[in-house]
Amino acid sequence: MKLLIVEDDQSLSRSINDYLKMEGHICEVALTLNEAVQKADVNKYDCVILDIGLPDGNGLDLIREMKSKRLTGGILILSAKSSLDDKLIGLKIGADDYLTKPFHFAELSARINSIHRRNDYLGMNEITFNEIRINTEDNQVYVHDKLIILTKKEYDLLLFFIANRNRIITKESIVEHLWGDNVILTDSFDFVYTHVKNLRKKIVASEGRNYIKCIYGFGYKFIDS
Amino acid sequence: MFAGAVLLYLTIKKVIYRQIDESLITEKTIIEDQIRQTDTIPDFEGTFGHQIEVKLLNYHIDKVQSIKDTDIYDSKSDSFIPFRYIFSSGNYVGKKGFIITIFQIISEKNELLQDIEVYMFSLFFSLLLISILINYLIARRLWRPFYDSVKIAGRFDIQSDKPLDLPETDIKEFDQLNRVFDNMTSKMRNDYLNLKEFSENASHEIQTPLAVIRSKTDLLMQQKNLNKDSLSLIQSINESTTKLFKLNQGLLLISKIENQVFHEKKMVSLKQITIKGLENYKEIMQLKRIKVEMDVSDEALVEMNEVLAEIMISNLLSNAVRFNIDGGFIRCHIDKTFLIMTNAGLPLTINPDDLFKRFHKSSNNPQSVGLGLSIVKEIAESYGMKIFYSCHNDVHEIKLWYHLKGNLPWAF
Repeated sequence: MKLLIVEDDQSLSRSINDYLKMEGHICEVALTLNEAVQKADVNKYDCVILDIGLPDGNGLDLIREMKSKRLTGGILILSAKSSLDDKLIGLKIGADDYLTKPFHFAELSARINSIHRRNDYLGMNEITFNEIRINTEDNQVYVHDKLIILTKKEYDLLLFFIANRNRIITKESIVEHLWGDNVILTDSFDFVYTHVKNLRKKIVASEGRNYIKCIYGFGYKFIDS
Repeated sequence: MFAGAVLLYLTIKKVIYRQIDESLITEKTIIEDQIRQTDTIPDFEGTFGHQIEVKLLNYHIDKVQSIKDTDIYDSKSDSFIPFRYIFSSGNYVGKKGFIITIFQIISEKNELLQDIEVYMFSLFFSLLLISILINYLIARRLWRPFYDSVKIAGRFDIQSDKPLDLPETDIKEFDQLNRVFDNMTSKMRNDYLNLKEFSENASHEIQTPLAVIRSKTDLLMQQKNLNKDSLSLIQSINESTTKLFKLNQGLLLISKIENQVFHEKKMVSLKQITIKGLENYKEIMQLKRIKVEMDVSDEALVEMNEVLAEIMISNLLSNAVRFNIDGGFIRCHIDKTFLIMTNAGLPLTINPDDLFKRFHKSSNNPQSVGLGLSIVKEIAESYGMKIFYSCHNDVHEIKLWYHLKGNLPWAF
């Protein structure tokens, strides 16, 4: 995908750039609102990752600009503020999602993928990974064309793994993805273990391969071996 | 006023008595003169209340004169009647002596004195009442602008941007007062906005470097050839970053609560919020095999900010779950006065008085930042609710007391 990263903190924007490039995306960086507006005018991006706390203006204005010019593409807001108002306004004027800093990159990937799926109306209702086929419209998962029944958490977990394939994902990022912010982390780690175990079992039971690798009790990696 | 009345009484009494005494002396002198000149006792008619006794002696007697009070028994009225009498003894023409005693009733005078006294007293008293009334009416008129100003100043809301609308007066002092109120409240408002902005900005500024740290560790994680030790170090960094983040969030929340940012209120049902909260923790409770018991007899409607209510209950539940033991229990009792959260758990490792203080360390949970319960306390107390902790045989109980009308805190 072609992505525009609008973030004034150079260290952070460089990190995001590096990470997303590793995932195979084409990325461009804008450090100010002005720069972002100019770039958005000239290029077509699949998704804009937008920090609303910019030095020369509010990122929300970029959204308004883009919407008024009918520019397509998803918009993911990044914000240091966890202000409910900002979130509501942002979503109302046309952003697709909202992520608070600090965030896990695994979460960023998952959200970008999700936005892309939603915005691309041309038949991207399916995600295929080797023998695993996921119909995102009716949330059904097939292994070797055989339907397997997954719980909601297991389904979300599978999508998360696939969105972040070949990267190490920490248990922490999985917990935050599945249960949100307000959880008790230490207890939840056991949960993650349970859900991963069950997911793996179900896939393997339908003769799928075991792609989920456990990394030293630190996290997991969904590897295409 | 009372001093005046007493003074008046004494003065009039003195006057009356002086009058009586003077007339007694005059009478005695007349009688004495007559004795000296004619060597006889004069004729007189004694009336009731005015008696004269004269005795002539043919021996020498000492010269004495005294005026005294006495009570004489009157058989007709079966009572003692007060008299004032003069006793005078002396000599005339060589060795002959005389004793003159004149009695004058004073009860009439006493009555007169009392009547005067009552009249004077009522006069003074009504004067006093009238002057109080007039004072009150004038004061009320006069002080009206002051009370108006005080009322308006009392309604000052530091959060709103409406200026203080103080009335114009033509009294210089109250105008001055109003101006002072205006200046003071604008300054307060500015300071408040600055402080709010500062603490929010400070908190947000911390967020970005935290995001940078996490982003770098995320990238670091993805490098090839990382061994277990490297990953372990990265995990430590991540844990601390998360802890910092949660700490930052917690402090920001506390500062927002203290600055009354969450000033919107409505009737919230603590029962509903608790039920919803328990849903969120259902999975973890299943994992830890925690039994939940509900004993709810009231909606527990409280007027407060909804977001804060959710945070408060969520923190209480989180605490009850986090410190619970495998196979333990959580009991929620909700009635129209209390919400009581009881949970089985490990014995407390800190002083119970410190439980609600910020940053208390509980050794069995390194993830705990120590703010959860102090946030609960902060929220509860900002709405006039009270919160108590007690522990009995490894069963911990937190009691939230919200309907203060009626029950007294020491009733349980």
